[in-house]
Amino acid sequence: MAANFWTSSHCKLLLDPDKVDVVPLLDKEKGLTQEEFRLIKIHMTFYILKLAQQVKVRQRVIATAVTYFRRVYTRYVGISWKSMTEYDPRLVAPTCLYLASKAEESTVQARLLVFYIKKMCSDEKYRFEIKDILEMEMKLLEALDYYLVVYHPYRPLLQLLQDAGMGDLTQVAWGLVNDTYKMDLILIYPPYMIALACIYIAVVLKEKETTAWFEELRVDMNVVSLILEHLSECLIFLYESGYFLNLKLLYLRGDLQVKNIAIEILDFYDYFNLAGGDPQKGIPEERINPALAKLVTKA
Amino acid sequence: MMTMMPASEPTAAAVGDEDPSLSKRVADRYLKREVLGEGTYGVVFKAIDTKTGQTVAIKKIRLGKYKEGVNFTALREIKLLKELKDPNIIELIDAFPHKGNLHLVFEFMESDLEAVIRDRNIVLSPSDIKSYLQMTLKGLSYCHKKWVLHRDMKPNNLLIAADGQLKLADFGLARIFGSPDRKFTHQVFARWYRAPELLFGTKQYGAGVDVWAAGCIFAELLLRRPFLQGSSDIDQLGKIFAAFGTPKPSQWPDMVYLPDYVEYQYVPAPPLRSLFPMASDDALDLLSKMFTYDPKARISVQQALEHRYFSSVPAPTKPSLLPRPPRKGDSLNHRPSEFNSQEGPLVLSPPRKLRRVTVHHEGLEGHVYQQDKADEHMGEERHGETTGQSGNMPMSIDLGAVFGSRPIPRPTLNSADRSHLKRKLDLDAEFEYPQ
Repeated sequence: MAANFWTSSHCKLLLDPDKVDVVPLLDKEKGLTQEEFRLIKIHMTFYILKLAQQVKVRQRVIATAVTYFRRVYTRYVGISWKSMTEYDPRLVAPTCLYLASKAEESTVQARLLVFYIKKMCSDEKYRFEIKDILEMEMKLLEALDYYLVVYHPYRPLLQLLQDAGMGDLTQVAWGLVNDTYKMDLILIYPPYMIALACIYIAVVLKEKETTAWFEELRVDMNVVSLILEHLSECLIFLYESGYFLNLKLLYLRGDLQVKNIAIEILDFYDYFNLAGGDPQKGIPEERINPALAKLVTKA
Repeated sequence: MMTMMPASEPTAAAVGDEDPSLSKRVADRYLKREVLGEGTYGVVFKAIDTKTGQTVAIKKIRLGKYKEGVNFTALREIKLLKELKDPNIIELIDAFPHKGNLHLVFEFMESDLEAVIRDRNIVLSPSDIKSYLQMTLKGLSYCHKKWVLHRDMKPNNLLIAADGQLKLADFGLARIFGSPDRKFTHQVFARWYRAPELLFGTKQYGAGVDVWAAGCIFAELLLRRPFLQGSSDIDQLGKIFAAFGTPKPSQWPDMVYLPDYVEYQYVPAPPLRSLFPMASDDALDLLSKMFTYDPKARISVQQALEHRYFSSVPAPTKPSLLPRPPRKGDSLNHRPSEFNSQEGPLVLSPPRKLRRVTVHHEGLEGHVYQQDKADEHMGEERHGETTGQSGNMPMSIDLGAVFGSRPIPRPTLNSADRSHLKRKLDLDAEFEYPQ
């Protein structure tokens, strides 16, 4: 989050939790349940991830692609709401990766994506040609209202861990952040809060004694949040002027919220296990295929 | 067309993706007028936005040749301009697909700073210069606050609106520079505006490169000609050293470690005053700080704006009162038959390479391929046409060509740079290319 998150389109586009993960109307008419909608999104997140591993792109590109994917099926004021029926997730997912690779300045050629898709997927329904991806790219840009800059928890995560002298938690926390993209958190919370929630969980997992650090943050925060209640400008100013030194003061403004996010993440792991999810393979096909089958409308 | 902030745009929710009449859309919302020029990635035409009555410039983006979808440079510009909203930055009003091509709608700009500098009929007072520089720095400061490097600052990318506001345009080379260790290509900026660290091949640079270029623009406003007109990268460094003296390692400790560093024969610096005899002491002080060799010691844009040059007398001219190239008679009729009835200098078919690019006053064109595009696409008549065509058309033609005192051509990125650039910039160092 080195760039200025607070004045970014990403910040303005954050939604209340009850506004995300809502089944688009057209899909609802097709009988797609909330559960199925959610599973498809998880499944497609895995799909993007696997494809990305083939073409070898940075973590950031993957994260941006998944964010695009989730935004497409989320309702935003002023943008027509896209359904999975109209926008086949099996085409939208690779196109998101394609667009994200461009937007993050590490272009992957469309023909390579097509090549690896064919290699990875035996199912015809996943196979597309270059022209399909390029056509979808244009539609995708429109669906995203041309907002392409996305912030991620990775950088604040590293900064915070360094700040707290907890570098040994990096791997665990980083993996946790990766897993948050299987949820819609990135559409709801500022990335630094997601980073904090992941640190929080990592701390618990590793049973680290860090109450002092969190306590210190909390104290700082109480002071700052008093000012902030009246001066949201101040927040931006602090952020801009001192980056992470002062930013640290801001982190626990959502102290409670951070704990809630952490709980949400832990809930997700339970949910994922119950759904038969495998950390490597994702959601089993026998759960996904019937859901996707509901969406089929042959044009 | 669709916006997430409905209040800010009147178009919100007016058109959904299910709109069956996208083909009518240009006609519906935008009344198409004349073609303004041919740019890096497509045609630019003028149009009237019927919803706001505003005159706009619409850039039609051709799809890439190599089956690579939306043009990369265009995408970069869209991405950044969606985040940048400031009075001194060109506004991206709308974007929409139409017949398979992406169209970008920008506010229409009357002129550009290069046209102002080149117009010998214009007298720029110290107040005027201060105002133009201040607006340039304000736009740049906003970019830097948002961690965006412009990387192509030059007078013809600084556009001038009808109300006199100067706006930064052409973000096709711009980048977010958030991460400290990220490596970038040094092949950015037109050569005359390139900072010495770039000429020495640095891959890690920051906001200082834009400051140097802004310094060159400041100097150009004072001199009314490009300040450091190198004919090659080596010569560019020579010109810089001739103006400011060969840097000593004590002045710029990191210099000797730069990839393309070579030792230059020592030349002492002439007094800055001798180069800018008419400039005030404050102006000279600010200039010298913008031209500091060591990028770490170079003044920041924000500091430059706080420099006493801007608070001392004379005060900067109000934008609306700034001298600008004559706006041609406001013709109500834009029919092409009116071309030659417009007054204005006759363009004597500037020879290849010398012509300023395609009279795109809105200057939205990418610069990278500009020169060649101009050569390929713009015949003499075409050039004459575009000049005379529009009532609002500013005259940013090559006045040197008209009056016979041709300055040497402004280099954009040359062709050698381009292949390099394509490799290095689009597929940047962090690029992890499979295979």
